[in-house]
This record gives sequence, C-alpha cells and structure tokens, in this order.
Amino acid sequence: MTEEVSLTLTVNGREVSRTAGAHLTLLRWLREAAGVTDPKYGCGEGICGACTVLVDGQPTSACLVLAAQVDGAAVTTAAGLLEADGSLGPLQRAFHDQHAAQCGFCTPGMLMAAAAALAGGRRLSRREIRQELHGNLCRCTGYGPIVDAIEMAQEEAGQ
Amino acid sequence: MFTRPFRFERADRLAQACDLLREHGEGAKVIAGGQSLMPLVNLGLVQPEVVIDISRADARRDVSVADGFVTVGALITHARLAADPVAARAQPLLGAAAAKIGNARVRARGTLGGSLAHSDPAAELPLVMVALGGVYEITDGRRSREVKAEEFHLGFLTSQLAEDELVVAARVPALGPGWGWSFQEVSRRDGDFALAAAAALVRMAGGGVVESRVAVGGVADRPVRLANVEISLGGAAAAELGSRVGPLNGIRPVSDTGASAGYRAHLARVLVERALAEAASRSGEAA
Repeated sequence: MTEEVSLTLTVNGREVSRTAGAHLTLLRWLREAAGVTDPKYGCGEGICGACTVLVDGQPTSACLVLAAQVDGAAVTTAAGLLEADGSLGPLQRAFHDQHAAQCGFCTPGMLMAAAAALAGGRRLSRREIRQELHGNLCRCTGYGPIVDAIEMAQEEAGQ
Repeated sequence: MFTRPFRFERADRLAQACDLLREHGEGAKVIAGGQSLMPLVNLGLVQPEVVIDISRADARRDVSVADGFVTVGALITHARLAADPVAARAQPLLGAAAAKIGNARVRARGTLGGSLAHSDPAAELPLVMVALGGVYEITDGRRSREVKAEEFHLGFLTSQLAEDELVVAARVPALGPGWGWSFQEVSRRDGDFALAAAAALVRMAGGGVVESRVAVGGVADRPVRLANVEISLGGAAAAELGSRVGPLNGIRPVSDTGASAGYRAHLARVLVERALAEAASRSGEAA
C-alpha cells in the first residue's frame, strides 16, 4: 500500500501542489507528479549531477532528497533560468553560444551547478569553475565548452 | 530509482524520532541530509518500511565554544561547518575536513550526525573526531550518554549506536596555544571517497614535539588513531618528523577498484608525513 502525502512546493516561481507517494524523491515528484522534466535521473547516487536543482538556493541532488522533506521549499530547475518573456537567460545563452551541450543529458544539471557557483557573486577562476563542476559528469566529455560558457556568463554579468 | 513504497514520518523532536524507531524497529530508517541513506535506497540495498525525517527537528545544528571545548550540533550541514567562523577559530581541523567531503550538493545537505552514524571508514568527519579525541553525545530520547569517537566506530558502516539512538552533538577540544593542525587526503578525483586520509595535530615547544595526535582513515574498517606514532614523535624537531613516524600500527588496508592495499598503505604513510609537516609549520614553533 502506497502512503500518499500532499505537498506544496514553489517550482520556478510557480506554486505546485500535488498528492503523491510519500516515498518519492524530489526528482520523481518533479518529473512524475509535477511534470517538470528538465532535471534528469542519471546515477541515483548523487555522483553524476544530472538531477541538480536549487532548493531554497542550495545546490541539491534531487534524487537524494525526499520531496516530503522539502515541503514548502522553493525549487529552481534549469527552466527557471529563463527570462520572464521565455527567452534564454544569460547562463543558458552562454551554453548555447559556446556549444556547451552535446547530447544534452547533463546540461540541466550543469546549468544549475553553474548557477549555484555564480550565485556567490565572486569572480571564479577557470580552475575554480572546474572545481565547482566536479560533481557533474558529462559523458560526451564536453567539459571545455561548458567551462567556456560559465566563464562567458560570468564576464557578461560583470563578475 | 523505482524504490519500494515506504511511509514517511516527520519528527519535530529527536525524542519523537527515537519513539518512532522503537515502534517500527528494523524497518525504520532515519533521514537527515539523506546523502548516505538515499543512494542505498535508490540502489535497492536498503528497503525501509518507514523513513523518519529529522532534518527539520528542533535539535542542535550550531557550533559553540565553552571551557576549552567545541561542541557541534549533529544537524549542522558540512557546508555550514566548513564555513563556520566560530569553528574556524576554535578548531580549524573540523572545517578543513568538512570542506573535503563529496561535492557541493553533498555538503549542502549532508550532516555531521549522519556522517558519524553512517560510520564509513573513509569518511572525513569520523577521522577528525578520532584524531581530536572527540566525544559524541547520544540520546534514545529518554537518556543521554557519551561515547568516545575512538570507541564509537566499530567497523564498516557499524557503530555503537543502538537501534533507537541518535547522535545529538560532538565535542572536541579547542585548538590550544602552540598546536598546529593538518588534514590530508587523496582521492582519485575531487569529491570521490578518500583512498586514504590523515589528520594530525602537533604541539611544538623548545624546538621539539611536546604532544601530538595522529589518525588515518580509509586504511582499515574504521578510523585508526596511531598512538605508537604519537609516542615515537616525542621531542622530534620539525625537520625529523617524517623519519620518526615508524610503523602505522593498526592499519589494515584492503584492495578494491579504487586502489590496492599496498598503495593505500603507501598513501597513508605519505599523508601522515605531510600532515605532520604541515601541522608543525602551523604550530608557531616550527624550525
């Protein structure tokens, strides 16, 4: 018998209430209950980073937290980086311009790792950007353009 | 990913979580940060019937200093411990170790109490607790008891914690005058489990070692304090620390996909030597 719980989270600025299994991770809750499919399931162990979202501003493996634990929290996924008019946000545009997505599976997580890294407002060296990304794997091994894109977004933001 | 359904209980107080643990027995698992439990659940290695969430419980998650000791609440996250200014002043080894844990996501949610209770032999925080001679405050919701870190960690993912007990806080001595410290670890990539790690504290006076504490992780089924090394370092000048280390009694490294037992033993020695050198250089008395 599946126990269900009713949760309300603010996802990309929109309040979302759903009743779903109490055992669902935040990732499954987002994808299966809320229809937010940009965070991806990769490893289930917190290693690959494909499910990275921000929970109240903190970078989080959505596969390693239960949705019920973060009832009431504000969650930001890659779609939350869009401008209000639906156009690409600065980080997304930099990824696009630098060809930082190949197969694209890691990209939503890479974007959120980058968003968390740049949120401090401090200018990061290339080495520091790479360190911030060490929890995110790209199996196309396209790391160079990803780091380029984050550097570009940082420069454009005047950091 | 397709975990068997379980019930979810939120405990507002630790005593309530202990009651739930007694009520549900072996089928119950406690979750705080979830960074150790959830990988096991997602892989199907642990199939709880009830998960008891203490992440929002009214319990200690701060750092305080009193009477020469630093006390850290079990619910503090690794990221907060790594950035805590009180901890950095009073016992910098804590933050240095916390900063080495996993990746930014693990540090944002993972907790001190979770790491200690999980008792992974390669984990950073149990290692520094053993090195520092730390004491854990444990509760079953009715009674509290204290256990020395060195006695708490019994083996691979095994501790003294009873089924209905939780770690409340950990207490370590503050860094005294003349002491230097160091934390060293080697992993295949940043964020991976340590292949080996070492923590050292050294007090130098009159050009020689007066007191030291040395422990290694990742090279046995629990963190190992190297008491024989501490004895052999007595009176050593900073320059001769490495040559005075001697055998690392108590280590039992194993071979796995990460490294061979022999390489782990080699790493442990190199890291102990590096930790001692850095600790001595920070002691304010280095040659």
